[in-house]
Order: sequence, then structure tokens, then C-alpha cells
Amino acid sequence: MILDLILPRKSKYYVAAFALFGTLASLAPLVIQWASYTSPLYAFENSYVVDKFSIILKGLFILITYLTFLLSINFIESDKYYQGEYYYLLLSSLLGALVVSSSRDLLTIFIGIELASTPMFLLSGWKKGDRKSNEGAIKFFLLGVLSASLILYGFSLLYGLTGKLVFSEISTYLLSNALGDSPVLLLSSILVISGIGFKISVVPFHSWAPDTYEGAPLPVTAYLSVSSKATGFVALIVLLTKVFETSGQSWGVILAIISGATMTLGNLVALQQSNPVRLLAYSSISQAGFIIAPLAAAGITGNYQDGIFASVTYLIIYAFMNLGAFLSIHLFSNFAGSDNFYDWGGVAKHSPLAGVLTTVFFFSLAGIPPLGGWFAKFVVFRSLLSTGEIVGISLAIIGAVNAVIALVYYARISKVIWMDELKNPEQEKTFEFQNPLKVVGALTVLVTFISGVFPGIFSYLGEVSSIFFGN
Amino acid sequence: MELLTNGIGLTAVVFLPIVSALVLIAIPKSQELLIKGFALISSIVTFVLSVLLLPQFDFSNADKLQLGNKITWIKSINANYEIGIDGISLPLLILSTFITVLAIIYSIEHLPEPKSPKGFLALILVLETGMNGTFVALDLILFFVFFEIVLLPMYFMIGIWGDKTVRSVAGFKNQIETRLYASIKFFVFTLFGSAFMLLGFLGLYYRGNKTFSIPELIELGTSGAFTGTFATLVFAVLFLGFAVKVPMWPLHTWLPDAHTAAPTVGSVLLAAILLKLGSYGFIRIAIPILPEQAKAWAPAIAILSAIGIIYGSLACLAQTDLKRLIAFSSVGHMGFVMLGIASLTPIGVNAAIIGMVAHGVITGLLFFLSGSMAHTYHTRDMGRLGGNMKLLPKTGALLGFTAMASLGLPGLAGFWGEFMALLGAFNPLDGLNVNIFRGSMVAGAIGTVLTAGYLLWMLQRVNLGEPSDEWNEMELHDADGYELAAWIPLVILTILIGVFPKLIFGATNDAVVSLLTKAFGG
Repeated sequence: MILDLILPRKSKYYVAAFALFGTLASLAPLVIQWASYTSPLYAFENSYVVDKFSIILKGLFILITYLTFLLSINFIESDKYYQGEYYYLLLSSLLGALVVSSSRDLLTIFIGIELASTPMFLLSGWKKGDRKSNEGAIKFFLLGVLSASLILYGFSLLYGLTGKLVFSEISTYLLSNALGDSPVLLLSSILVISGIGFKISVVPFHSWAPDTYEGAPLPVTAYLSVSSKATGFVALIVLLTKVFETSGQSWGVILAIISGATMTLGNLVALQQSNPVRLLAYSSISQAGFIIAPLAAAGITGNYQDGIFASVTYLIIYAFMNLGAFLSIHLFSNFAGSDNFYDWGGVAKHSPLAGVLTTVFFFSLAGIPPLGGWFAKFVVFRSLLSTGEIVGISLAIIGAVNAVIALVYYARISKVIWMDELKNPEQEKTFEFQNPLKVVGALTVLVTFISGVFPGIFSYLGEVSSIFFGN
Repeated sequence: MELLTNGIGLTAVVFLPIVSALVLIAIPKSQELLIKGFALISSIVTFVLSVLLLPQFDFSNADKLQLGNKITWIKSINANYEIGIDGISLPLLILSTFITVLAIIYSIEHLPEPKSPKGFLALILVLETGMNGTFVALDLILFFVFFEIVLLPMYFMIGIWGDKTVRSVAGFKNQIETRLYASIKFFVFTLFGSAFMLLGFLGLYYRGNKTFSIPELIELGTSGAFTGTFATLVFAVLFLGFAVKVPMWPLHTWLPDAHTAAPTVGSVLLAAILLKLGSYGFIRIAIPILPEQAKAWAPAIAILSAIGIIYGSLACLAQTDLKRLIAFSSVGHMGFVMLGIASLTPIGVNAAIIGMVAHGVITGLLFFLSGSMAHTYHTRDMGRLGGNMKLLPKTGALLGFTAMASLGLPGLAGFWGEFMALLGAFNPLDGLNVNIFRGSMVAGAIGTVLTAGYLLWMLQRVNLGEPSDEWNEMELHDADGYELAAWIPLVILTILIGVFPKLIFGATNDAVVSLLTKAFGG
């Protein structure tokens, strides 16, 4: 049952191939679990659970890590040192993410969250000689520690209030003692939201992200913006719906404000960026606003099923299209040798394939049908409007305006690479598009298209999230 | 013929182009002839398929949705792949497949810079899928997806193959190429409208038994399920989404830029089909689902249309750029279409549909001609043109003919739409404020005079007179075979629709009457 946890740990051999194989192999037990699934399995006195919800998320985390490895191969080989550690750290982080999706008590989830983020402190400072990398890593580390302490403080309040660690026991205790609107509970939820807010980089806890993203090696940034973020979201979903369920009205409003601010601020700043990585950093801040919006609506109405469905669907589609977007800027910044995408004029002519991929990912992020991003945005709007309440409706309107603003900067990249004049037309340099990167491109583009054209495949998530919440 | 009636035929008309576009991308760049031939053949096959649907279409039941199907698409939100056509969408669907063929014929020899036929033709085909799909979709989400699919190809068409003239634009520090400014402006405007439109669709979904099916929502809407502030808000956002696309004054500002900057074929498709998606949305979705709101908004729409007509013609009078003049004339013509729709009478809505088809044919041809002339003369400045009849007799003759059609000469296609829209506005639906509509009618009538004015003036400046000396040295080529092959069918169609408007009304009338009866009672 927990084989999927052990396998990646074992693949501590210092070769990329084994890491790749290990991550893929660890999908196998998941598939078996899915196929033979009858009812949720509990272990360690209800603090660890394997249900369909966690299986899907684990699948997602493992796939993301796999794609990150593929992205990394050429990158890490090009600089000679510490290959083994690199893979080891990423795998540890993966382990943390896997733990988070299954944990159902305060201690386990905290360990999971920290296990997922601690290796990233090291990885983000990977480019040792680079000042930006060091600066980003330090910022990330300091704020990361702060966020851990906030989460821990929130948990300790909760423990003080209830004396329990396991989620199911906590919520039973809260219900039976009518502590639903206790101020301590509210304070604890605010602390937890703030703590996790750093991990998922929502406003006002976002300030580390652009610097860290810019300084870290590109595959690490991709992983940070996708997997680390997803881990934070999963922890947030689990905690809010399993523990703080009773004070949903209060944290719902808080999340709604955070969500609106995050979308808007992320977008407005992204408009000004000329560095593609910073652009994606701010865009991913803005996307985080979209992901937590349904949770806010869910908290307010108590209709968790729709909210979780929307958030998780968004998370999955976002993961793939964002990885794809990182792949494209990796390709082009290598080719053009510049970190300012305005220098990329006409580069798509050198590799129409990479140009088309870039276009697909960025317009998918903008939410243009028939690419996957539209369905992600759609389910978010759907869950927001299902509330029929003013908070949900205003958030939907803010979201709609932001979707249009975002188009401007997403379209800008396509504009530069397709429409601008070539900078140096007689450039002889060949366009490098290594095979592992082609695999990443193929997989991500496939998911982006299929999720846009046949979003029906997400239907099962609806049932899954109802099962999740039924427990 | 089973295949044509059970929805597979319609599906093929929608998806054949995009599948061909994918195949096209797989053909190596060097096989230029193959690329062009394949694109042409696939567009012709699509057109033939859509014509083959005609004998299957039951014209005695043109008010019923036919030849369609309904398959589950996204189960979790109850969105279905529901398609079908009635008398309203049939002419528009055929117009769309037809114009695409002509656009591809024209592109074979007249590709704008930078050539790259593969990308250009593939974009046209993707565009066709979006256009055809919008006309057959009967599910709001499906409609939305098709409605948006057209954006990307058009964005790239304008942005890559568009006008490279550098100009300064308010709000931009540096001078910017027209194509870059126009393409993003087009995209942002339309997306702004449709993002809100989607919220409106979701509102209908939650109030309407969680269905996105247009026929079901019409049933609900006509039985009074949507009322009060909710309905007002939903109509407002739908209005925003469709009015940007039409475009109605004052949301029209993207249109002159996009039209002027787009390559010839882009302007043709934009004018002939893309604008119709908006007015079609009003007829298919906004009015039948929210009849009471439509009634409340009708006077406002009529006034905006009247302003659009007058504004469009006045703006035309001020233009020196031939293509920009035609672009502004679209604002005026679409004003007539919307005026017809706003009257909410069978005459008015029929007028709107024939107006849409006629505008597609005539303005499409005008853009072909002006594009070709701009290519020959390397300028669109009417001050420098002149004596076109002597220099390019074929093109000049066609320009004269089309301008006459565009100003609504009786006997040609443009006449019916304008005339009947005014008739509809004279006698709007009972309960609407007659004074406002008659006022709009008068404004529209003045608009027709102004339209005649600017088109004749345009002819005088471009076609007549003595050629300026600067053309003496140049070798000017009159229309070649490909151009004529693309243009002559449009000329024939203009005459046919002008003489036998029943070609269109035969299909539309029953559908329009039944739609309005359902919405507003006998």
C-alpha cells in the first residue's frame, strides 16, 4: 500500500536514468491501487489514508516530477557537479508531496509539507556562483521558515483547543463541543492560511517567488511553480475541508479577498515583465488566485464538492500547461541566449515546432478554447457562480476582467516569437531541441489539448471529490 | 443519405476543415503545390458537403432544428455535443463554407508577405471550423468554444500577414506597426466581451435546471423562467459579448483597425462571416431565451444601431484610405442588421438575416477588390488613386458594380436588408416605443443617403477621372484568373439574391416567425 512511498526513496542511485525509471515505476502501485480500489484504506490510526482523491494527486505529483527530471537531464549534465544530490533532493520533495496527499493528521501533514519544501531551499540556490540564485534562495529560506512556524503555531492552537491530532477526531470534537465559531479556531485557521499562503505564493505572501524563480535553475523553477504549489494547495484543501470546516464562513471571506487580490496584483505586475521567468512567476501568482477562488466559494456556501472539483481540475490542467510554458522559455532563452524575451524576435521561424508549442501553452494559460486552460477557468467560474452570493459573483467578475488582462501578456510572447522581425537573420546557430525535452513537450501538449477538447475526462473527479468529502 | 441526416454530415462540415489543417501541417514545406491543392480540395469538399445537406433539409419544417444530434460531451457539467440547423443558420452555414473556398482560391496566387502558404491556409481552415461550428452549435458551452476558436487564427493572420505600416498610437510610447496593434486590440476586445458572456451562460445554467441546451433554455425562457434583476444582468453580459463582435457603436473601435491591418483574405473572412457570429448570437440565444429583456432593451439597441448607421457613414466620408472606408461601411451595414433585429418583428429579423448574407457577399467582394488594388498600386490612398477604370478595367467595373450593390440598389442583394430593416423599424413589435423606432428609421433612411454619398464619392475618386502620372511608368496587372474565379461567384450571388430574395427568405421565414411567436406570443 505504501510501496509508492518507498520506491522513489530507494532510487537514490546517482544516475538520472534510475531516477526516471524509479518515478515511473512508482506509478505502477498507484495504478494497481486504483484498479483494485473498493473503499478508503486507513493506516496508522487514521492518520494516513489511501482514497481515490489521494491516488489521483499522487499520480499528478509523480508525473510532474518525472517531467521535471526530463527537463533537468541536459541542464544538469551541462554543469558537472552534484548530479546525484540533485535527483535525491527532488525525490525527497516528491516524497513530501506524496505524504501530504494522504495524511490525515496534524503531525503527518506538517512533516509532509516541510519535507516537500525543505529540499527546495537547497535546490533554489543550486547555481552557487550566481548572486541572484543566492539571493533568491536566502529569501525563500527565511520566508519558508517563517511560514513553517506560522503553520506550526496554528496547529498548536488547534491542539490546545481540542487535544487531538487526527483530523476526523478534531472535527468530531469541535462539533460535539460546539466550538465551531471559537475565536481560537478562527485564529488558528488564519495562521494556517498565512503559512500555506507562502508556499502557494498568494498575495500578500508572494514576494519571495519572483526572485527565487529567477535565481533557481529553470527545471527547479518549473518544479517550484507547479509541484510545490500543488503540494501547498492540497494541504490547504485537506486542512480547510477536514479540520476548519465549521468556520468556513470566516475563512471563506478571507480566502475570497486573498484570491481577488492575488489574481489582480499578479496580473498587473506580470504586464510589466520582460524576463520570461519573472513573467511566469507573476502569472503563476495570478493563477494561484484562480485556484483558491473556488475554495473561498466553497467555504462560504458549504458546497465543498463543487469547490474541490474546480480547484483540483484547475490544478491538474495548470500543472501541465505551466510545465509546458517553462519548457518553451527554456528552449528559446537557450537559443536566443537572452533573458529578455523582447530579444526573441522571430525565433519561431528557426523552429516552428517549438513556436507552435509555445503558442499552445501560453494561450492555454490565457484560457482560450479549445486548449485545456479554458475548462480550468470555466469550472472555477462555475463554482463561483453556483453560490449565487455577492462574494462569489464579484469574484467571478474580477476573474473575468483578469482573464482579459492576462491575455495581453500571454499573447505578447507569441507576438514576439512569430510576428517581430528576426534580430540577426543570418544566425547560423542550430536550434537545440533534445529528445527528453521533446517527450516533455509531447506529454504536456497532449494533456493540454485533451483536457480542452474532451474535458469529460475530469468528470470522475466530481465523484472523487464527493467521496473525499463524504468521509 | 442516412449519414447526412443523423448529425454526421453536419459534424463533418464542422470538423473536416480543422482535420485538414492538421494534415496540412504534416506536409513538408517544400511541397507548395500539394499544400495549396490540398487546402483547396478540402475546402471544396466541405462546401459540397454543406450543399449536399440542402436536399436533406426539410424546408416545410424550416422552423425545426434538423440534421442534428446530441451526444454527451462533458458529463460533469451537463454540457453536450448538441448540433442542428434550422432556416436561420442554414444560409449562414453555406455562406461560411462558400466564402472559405473563395478565400482559398484567392490565396493560391495572392499570398501576402511573408508568404508561408502552409501556415496561412491552415489558419483559414481552423477559422472555418470555428465559424461553421458556431452556426450549428445548440449548446451554450459548445457555442462558446467555437465562438472563441476563431480568435486565435484571426489574431495570427492579422499579426503575421497584416499591414506593416508603422504608425503612432495613443497610449504607446514608440511607434508601432499597424498589424501588431490591430491584432491584439481585436483579441482583447472580443475576449472581454466573451469572458462576460460566459458568466451569463453560467447564470442561465444555474437558473435553468442546470442545462446548457439552447432549445431547452428557450422553452424555459419563453415560459418565463428568467425574470427580474437576474435576467437584466444576464442580458447585459450577453449583449456585451455579442455587440462587441457585431460590432455595435460604441464598441466598434477594434473593427476599422483590424480590417485595415488584416491581409485581404483576413478582411474578407472577418467581414463576411466573423461579424455575423455576433448578430447570429442575438437571434439564436439572447432574444429567444430572454424575450422580456429583449423587449426592454430593444429601443436602446435601435438607438445604438441608428447611431452606428449615421456614425459609420459619416466616418466613411472622412476616410482617405480605401480599405478603412470599407471597414467603416461595415459598421453602418451591421447597424441596419441590428436595427432589423431590434424591431423584433418577422420583417425586421428576416431583413437582418438577408442583410447578414448580403453584407457577407458584397463587403467580402469589396475587400477582395480593395486588397487587390492595394497590391497593384502599393497604396490605398484614394487621393493618389484615380482613373482606375482606365488602368484596370476589369477590377474597376467590378468595383463599380459592388459599390452599387453595397449602397442598396434595388435588384441587387444589398437592397432587401436595408429596405426591410427600415420597414421593420417603422412598425416594431407591439408594446415597443413607436417613436423611438420611427426616429431610428428616419436616421437609418438618412444613413442610406449618406451611404450612397460616400460610395459614389469613393467611385468618383478611385474609378473615374484621369489616372495620375505616377502610374505611367508602372506595369499594372488587371485581375488574373484566380482573382476572377474568386470574385465572379460573389457577383452572381449578389444578383441572384437581389432578384430572388426568396432564396434566403424561403429558408428563414418560417424559422423567424416561429421563433418570434414563441418568444412574444401570436
